[in-house]
Amino acid sequence: MPPLLQVKGLATHFTTRDGIVKAVDGVSFTLEAGKTLGVVGESGSGKSVTALSIMRLVQEPQGRIVHGEVLFKGEDVVKMNDAKVRALRGDRIAMIFQDPMTSLNPVYRVGRQIGESLMLHKGMSKSEAFERTVELLDMVGIPHARERAKDYPHQFSGGMRQRAMIAMALACDPDILIADEPTTALDVTIQAQILELMIEMQDRTGAAIIMITHDLGVVADMADDVMVMYAGKQVEYGTADDVFYRPRHPYTWGLLASLPRHDVDEKACLNPIAGQPPSLINVPPGCAFHPRCVHARPECSVEVPELLSAGSTHVAACPYSAGLTPEACGVLAGRGDAR
Amino acid sequence: MSPRPHDPRDHPVNGPVDVCGHEVKTEGTTLPTLPGNAHVYDSAVTASRTLWGDAWRRLRKNKLAITGLVWIMIVVTMTLTADLWVPLFFADPIAVNTEPGASLQSPSWEHPFGTDKLGRDVFSRVIYGARVSLAVGVLAVSISLVIGLLLGALSGYRGGAVDTFVMRTADVFFAFPYILFAIALIAVLGPSYRNVFIAIGILGWPSIARVFRSSILSVKENEYIDAARAMGASDFRIMFRHVMPNAIAPIIVYGTMSVGGAIITEAALSFLGMGVQPPTPSWGLMLSDAKSLMFVAPWLTIWPGFAILTTVLAFVLLGDGFRDALDVKMKD
Repeated sequence: MPPLLQVKGLATHFTTRDGIVKAVDGVSFTLEAGKTLGVVGESGSGKSVTALSIMRLVQEPQGRIVHGEVLFKGEDVVKMNDAKVRALRGDRIAMIFQDPMTSLNPVYRVGRQIGESLMLHKGMSKSEAFERTVELLDMVGIPHARERAKDYPHQFSGGMRQRAMIAMALACDPDILIADEPTTALDVTIQAQILELMIEMQDRTGAAIIMITHDLGVVADMADDVMVMYAGKQVEYGTADDVFYRPRHPYTWGLLASLPRHDVDEKACLNPIAGQPPSLINVPPGCAFHPRCVHARPECSVEVPELLSAGSTHVAACPYSAGLTPEACGVLAGRGDAR
Repeated sequence: MSPRPHDPRDHPVNGPVDVCGHEVKTEGTTLPTLPGNAHVYDSAVTASRTLWGDAWRRLRKNKLAITGLVWIMIVVTMTLTADLWVPLFFADPIAVNTEPGASLQSPSWEHPFGTDKLGRDVFSRVIYGARVSLAVGVLAVSISLVIGLLLGALSGYRGGAVDTFVMRTADVFFAFPYILFAIALIAVLGPSYRNVFIAIGILGWPSIARVFRSSILSVKENEYIDAARAMGASDFRIMFRHVMPNAIAPIIVYGTMSVGGAIITEAALSFLGMGVQPPTPSWGLMLSDAKSLMFVAPWLTIWPGFAILTTVLAFVLLGDGFRDALDVKMKD
């Protein structure tokens, strides 16, 4: 049986006035049922476009999937006709967006919006959909679900809206739930509640989750597998243990070193990765990360590194990292202090 | 959106709550319990439950808009029922009275607004003139709305070459002086009551299309449109169920105000002899007839002028009220 979702060499490019933006350039991963994949990277590294490409939601004609396959249960989403993709969206693959304040339509009652996908995909009547909606809202922890379903989005708080969004995404019992930075717009306590809710919902429904975030803490909490992206490319991919305990790419080292820590002096400086992520129109030649990498060698600006095996479940796109030690993070940190 | 203060709705508890959301012990004073599932907050915080209900509540508080609405309703009622009561009390608006002394009478009980130079009753002419004005206003704007909404929606939602074509066509329309274009159109179509509203309607679409297009463009960028697409909604569904209802508010405002504008244009065209033809009473036509007699018989200009002014103002005030009432973000 084919895996639930298999992405092979996905490349999504955007045509702009200034040139071609390679937002996603060769991404491959496999997602098994019930598992969670964490996708991390800086803003503009192609995380969201990867997610949108999986659901074929990239705005055409500016954006196009130019290469690769997205195999959902063995069937290529890229080659499906529109009607088939629409039947997939919201039913088998659902998505939760970043900002719960704007992702609910202000003119419709919350319950009606959740019910819409039930009526669309499951052919339910209005009243059946409403009953199911009440169950869903209750499940995601909204008190007085029957009454609150009749409220408008502006009568909900941010945390409740994100709960409603989760209910909406789970309405049709999808196989895959894509969460695009679902907690970024929420405050810290609500973030924790929402993550907890997502984990609980996953246990209950058995949905696989693709968690897009730039919060490594979130990934550490939830993910089975982790994919690190930089400038549209996959730089490291492996199990959470591989990536967190045996990272093999200097960019991942930098990300881990930049985390604030509880166990050191609170006055200690944060250790950011020096420099800025590159513009996707002028990606540096060779390894895109080399201008910011403390270990860069002359070869790095020439050869585009390929994903190399770093273990049975682990790949990284740096041919030289094997000879370096992650302790070298300290060097990176030194640069952060010298600003 | 700004962070809002703690809202007890987030953590509903059964008893009364203090500002921090902690349950307050009420000893002695028992609050009336609400029946069934009703919660503490429902009655206190928001009574209204629908968007249109909310809008209507806000509109009601706007005195100017309500004044406009009431005036429009009075004019509409008087006009629609004119056949029932005007003939009973007043002279026919069209019948010419050639008896000596019948023309240019100043206002009296018999002729509240006086008579014109052909001895016709000005009051009944003003009342029947409202028919022409309102009909032209509403029909012309309807034509503009049909064309404008269709093209605006196409332009905003499709974008690309369609958008460019529609918007450049609109620019061509804008490039002509409005009144001259209207006169030219009527010169081609021939001056008549029907052709007036057709001409005004055709000239009105570019503004509607533009307003609707820009409104759609901004609504389209919202995340809930992406969410709808991610939910599997078709283009058609997204357009009509998700984009349109959110983009329509500026059109309601603009459309209402346009009715006033169309009434003025009708009056102007009739004044110039390009609109409604005599003997049909029309406010603009009455002004035109009266212009040489302004100092001899001021009532001939005052009353149709007053009618135009108040009716147009009423539509503008109402439109303005709609603008405030339909703004979801404006919480009272």
